[in-house]
Amino acid sequence: MADLSNTSSPLPKRKPGIFIQFLGSMNLAVTLLVMLAIASVIGTVLQQNQVFQDYIIKFGPFWTQVFNELGLFHVYGAAWFILVLLFLLISTSVCVSRNGPTFLKEIRQYSEKLSLNAYKHQPHSVTYTPESFETETAQSILKQQGYKTKIHQREDGVTVAGLKGRWNRLGYIFTHISIIVICIGALFDSNLLLKYRELTGTLAPETRTVGLDKIPQKSWLGPENFSFRGSVNIAEGQKSDVLFLPYERGFLVQKLPFTIDVKDFRIEYYDTGMPKSFESDIVLSAPDLDKPIEKTIAVNHPLFYKNYAIYQSSFGDGGSLMKLKVHPLLSPTNNPLTLNTAVDKVEPLKTPMGTYRLELNDFKMFNIVPASEEEKAKTGKKMHNNGPTIIFKVRNDQGKAWEYENYMQPSLQDGRWFFMTGMRTSQAEPFRYLFIPADQQRQKTRFFNFLALINNKNKSQEVLKEAFPQEKGVDDRTYQLQMRLLNQLMVLFRQKGFNGISLFVQKNVPAKDQPKVKDYYMGQTSLALQTLYLNVLKQEKVKELDNISDFNKQWFEDAITVINSLPNYGPPMYFELDSFKQIESTGLQITKSPGKDIVYFGSALLIIGVFFLFYVRQKRIWLAYSEKEGTLTIAGKDNKELPEVAKEFQQIVQAVQSKMQVKS
Amino acid sequence: MSTMNSSMEMDQLKKPFSISDIIWTVAVIAGAIYAWKSFGQLMDVYEIGILAGASVGLIAFGKIWPSIRTLSYAVAALSLLALWSYSHHGNQISANEQAFFLKFLISSQSAFMWMSALFVMATVAYFLALFSKSNYVGKVASAIAWSGVAFGLVGMMVRWRESYLINPDYGHIPVSSLYEVFILFAVLTTLIYLYYEQKLRTRSMGGFVMLIVSAAIGFLLWYTFDREAHVIQPLVPALKSYWMKIHVPANFIGYGSFSIAAMVGLAYLVTEKFQTKNPDSQFVKSMPSLESMDDLMYKTVALGFAFFTIATVLGAMWAAEAWGGYWSWDPKETWALIVWLNYAAWLHIRMSKGWRGRPMAMWALVGLLVTTFAFLGVNMFLSGLHSYGEL
Repeated sequence: MADLSNTSSPLPKRKPGIFIQFLGSMNLAVTLLVMLAIASVIGTVLQQNQVFQDYIIKFGPFWTQVFNELGLFHVYGAAWFILVLLFLLISTSVCVSRNGPTFLKEIRQYSEKLSLNAYKHQPHSVTYTPESFETETAQSILKQQGYKTKIHQREDGVTVAGLKGRWNRLGYIFTHISIIVICIGALFDSNLLLKYRELTGTLAPETRTVGLDKIPQKSWLGPENFSFRGSVNIAEGQKSDVLFLPYERGFLVQKLPFTIDVKDFRIEYYDTGMPKSFESDIVLSAPDLDKPIEKTIAVNHPLFYKNYAIYQSSFGDGGSLMKLKVHPLLSPTNNPLTLNTAVDKVEPLKTPMGTYRLELNDFKMFNIVPASEEEKAKTGKKMHNNGPTIIFKVRNDQGKAWEYENYMQPSLQDGRWFFMTGMRTSQAEPFRYLFIPADQQRQKTRFFNFLALINNKNKSQEVLKEAFPQEKGVDDRTYQLQMRLLNQLMVLFRQKGFNGISLFVQKNVPAKDQPKVKDYYMGQTSLALQTLYLNVLKQEKVKELDNISDFNKQWFEDAITVINSLPNYGPPMYFELDSFKQIESTGLQITKSPGKDIVYFGSALLIIGVFFLFYVRQKRIWLAYSEKEGTLTIAGKDNKELPEVAKEFQQIVQAVQSKMQVKS
Repeated sequence: MSTMNSSMEMDQLKKPFSISDIIWTVAVIAGAIYAWKSFGQLMDVYEIGILAGASVGLIAFGKIWPSIRTLSYAVAALSLLALWSYSHHGNQISANEQAFFLKFLISSQSAFMWMSALFVMATVAYFLALFSKSNYVGKVASAIAWSGVAFGLVGMMVRWRESYLINPDYGHIPVSSLYEVFILFAVLTTLIYLYYEQKLRTRSMGGFVMLIVSAAIGFLLWYTFDREAHVIQPLVPALKSYWMKIHVPANFIGYGSFSIAAMVGLAYLVTEKFQTKNPDSQFVKSMPSLESMDDLMYKTVALGFAFFTIATVLGAMWAAEAWGGYWSWDPKETWALIVWLNYAAWLHIRMSKGWRGRPMAMWALVGLLVTTFAFLGVNMFLSGLHSYGEL
C-alpha cells in the first residue's frame, strides 16, 4: 500500500541520513519560509540603504553599530539572508528529489493489481451483486466520467481501474521545481560576484562625489560584470557610456559597450500640474552597429538592445545656464553684480563680510500649486504656476550652509505682488519665506533702492537733514545728537531689526525709563524710515507726495517687514535670477539581467503548478468484479479527501448501477 | 437531494449548448465588439488582447456559474443607460448633477453610495436570517448582496467613462487609486462569497463575510467624505500601462479570497466555542458543520493563493517594464512576498502535516492582518515605489 500513501513523504526504500532527512523536512521548510517573511518585514520597517548618519540620528551610535553588524541596513544583501535563501533552495531540492520519483510513478499508476480485499478497504467502497457485468460497459462508464482506464484479469475476476486528474501530481513537482528555478534566476541577477570581488579586495565602491576621471580603477566594472542595474543622468545634447551602480555606502561605475546620446527630453503636464508623461529621444551607438538605433523611450516603454534594457526613470536639471544678479544687502548703493553660471556649478564669492561659496543645486521651470479660490473662480483653472525657481546654497568658510529657494517672478498674495525667497539652514526644515514687495512696474528696483538708501549713512543723513532742518532755538549740539541718534537707529535696525532696538534699550537704559525711551526710539525709527521712503518716492518722481496712494503705503509696510527680517536671512546677499536657458537631463536606468528569463520561466511553472495542485484532483476508481461470488466492488480514492469526494463517488456508483442493475 | 443535484449537473454537462448559453455567448461577443468599435482607437494591441481574453473568460465563467450572466446583463443594461444619459447631455461630466438617472442612481458616485448602503444592509440581513432562521430573510439578504455587487460594478463602469468625460487625458480604468481598489475589493469579495454561497447552499456565513465588506465600506465612506478621495485624478506616468488592467484585479481576487478565508475562520472559531458550551445550541445547528467551514477556508485560501501568485508574477513583469527590474525589494513587493510566504506556509502545514480546524482558522485570521498590512499599512506607513494611494 506504500504506493498509495496519502502523505507527501512516503516511506523511502533506503533510509536516508538524519541530516538529509532534516534538510528535506517540512519543519525546516516552514521555518525557513517564516524566517524569510520576518527578514522581509525587517527590511521594510527599517529603511534600507540610507545614509549612515541618518541611522545614527535615529537609533543612536550603539544600536546603529549593532544593527549594522547584523546587516539590518542591507537585509536583502546580508550574508545570513542569502544563507536562508540557500537553505530554502537546498531544502526544496531535497524534498523534490525525494518525493518527485514517487509522484512521477503515481502519475502512471492505476493500482489495478491489488486484491479484492484491498479495494474493499479504500476510503470509499460499495459492494453489490449486479445482474450482469461486462468489462466494456464498465470501461465506457468510467471513460464517460473522464477517467482513463486499465483492465486487469485477476484469478478470481476482473478489475477495471480508472484514473483521472493525474496532473495534480505534476503540480507538486512544478511548484517546487519552480522555486528552485526562480532562486537560480535571482542568483544570476544578484551581486554575489561583486561581493566576492570586494572580499578579495579587487573591488571597492567609491563614496565621494567626484568627477569620473578621479574615480580609481578599483571602482570600475567592465564587460565581465554580466548582471547589473544602475542609473545615469544625461543632459540634453550630452552622451554617456557609463552607468552608476549603487553599492553599499557608495557606488560603482559600469562601463557600457555602447554610447547613449540624449537628443531631447520632453515632459508634459496635466492641468493639475502633475507630470503626465516624460520621454527622451535617444540614439544608441555601438561599434558593432552599422547604424545607430534611434528611439524615443518613455515610462513603461523601454528600449531593448541585445540583453540590455534602457528605461526612462527620472528627470532633472542638466546644468541650466543662468544669469544671476547678486544684490549685496548691506551695500550703500543699488549696484548688483552679474554672475553667469549654471546648475551644479560652485562659485566663490568674496565679500567684505567674508568668503562664501555659492552652490547652485537646482533649477525648476515650473512650480505648480493649487490655485486660490478666487483664481479658480476667475480662470476655471485648478492649478497655478508660480514660475521658475533656483535652489542654491551659500556656504561660509566654516562650512555652514544656508539653503535658498528664489522665485524669478512675483506671485499674487492678498492682491499684492511679491517676490518670494525661502531660506533654511537644515534640510529637515521647511523653507521660511520673505515676501519682497514688487513696485508698480512689478520689479524689485524700488526695494533695493530703498534698502541702499537705508544702508547709506551719508546719503540718508543728507536726506534726513533736508527733511528735518535745524529749527530755531535748537542748539547745534542737540541737533547733531538728534541726527546721530537717527543714524544709529538706522544702523541698529539694519543690523538686528526692531528687535535690536528693543534689546539696545534693555541693555543701556535704566529700567524705569525703558518704556518711554523705547517708544521714543521706535517712533524716531519709523519717522526716519518714512522720510527715507518719501525720498525714494521722490526719486521715482511719484506725484502727490502729501497724499500717498494706498499701494505705496502698503508697499512700505511690506518692505519694512522684509527689511526687519533680513538680519535672519543668512549671508547678506540676495540672488536674483535674471535670465536662464533651461537644459534638462534625463534619468535613465539600464539593466542587464540574464536571470530575468529564468525567473519568468520559473514563475510560469509556478502558476501552472499551483493550478494543477489546487484545481486538478487526482481520483481513482476501481470496479472489481468477483466471478466466484458474482459481486461488484466499486472503490474510490482521491489524493485529497474533500467533502465533495463522497458525493462524487455516489454519483459514480449511481452511474454504474444504472447500467449494471442491482440483482433483485 | 445531493444525487438529484448531481444528476442535474450531469444533464448540463451532456447538453453543452442550451439556448441561454447561445444568447450569453452572443451577448458577450457583441459587447466586446461594441467596446472595440467604440473605444478601440484608445487601445493598444495588448489591451485588445485583454479585451478578447476577458470576453472568452467571461463566456467560460458564465458557463460554470450561470448567475454571473444575470448579473452581467443587469450591469451592462444600467451602464449603457448611464452612458446614453451622459451622451444625451452632451457628454458633459456635469450631467451627473442634472440627469435624473445619473443624479440619483447610476452616476459613479450615486452607484457607489447605493452599493455601500446595500452591502451594509446585506450584512444586517444575513445576521437577521441567521438568528431568525428565516429562509426568506436569507434570500432577501442574498438578493441585496447581489444588487450591491451590481451597483458596484455599474459604478466602476461609469467611473471609467466619466474619467474620459472629465478630460480625455485623465481616462483610465478605475483600479488606480486606493479609493477605487477599495470598491473593487468590496465587489470582488462579495462576489466570491456569493459563489460559495450557491455552491455550498448555505447563507449562514454571509453575515460573517459581509462584516469585512462592511468594514471596507466604512473606510470608503470616511475616505470619500473626509478626504474627498473619490475625485477622479489623472494617472502618474508609471501607471499608464495595460499591465494595470490585469495586475490589480488579479491581486484583489487574492485579497478578497484571503479575507473570506479569515471571516470563515472567525465563523469557525465562534461556532466551535458555542459547540463546546452547548452542542445542541440553535446557533450551532444553523451554522454549517465545522468540517465544511474548514474545507471552505482551504478552498478560499487556495483560490486566493493561486490568484495572488499570478498577480505577484504579473506585478514583477510590469515592474521590469516600468522600473527596470522585476524585483526591487520595494515595501509593497516585499509585503506581497510576506503574504505569499504566509499562505504558502499555511497550505504546506495543512496539506502535509494535516492540521485542521482551530489552529488553521486562527492562522487565517492572522493572515488577514498580514494581508491588510500589505494592502493598507504599506501605503500608510512605508514609502516606496507603490506610493499611489497615500492616505
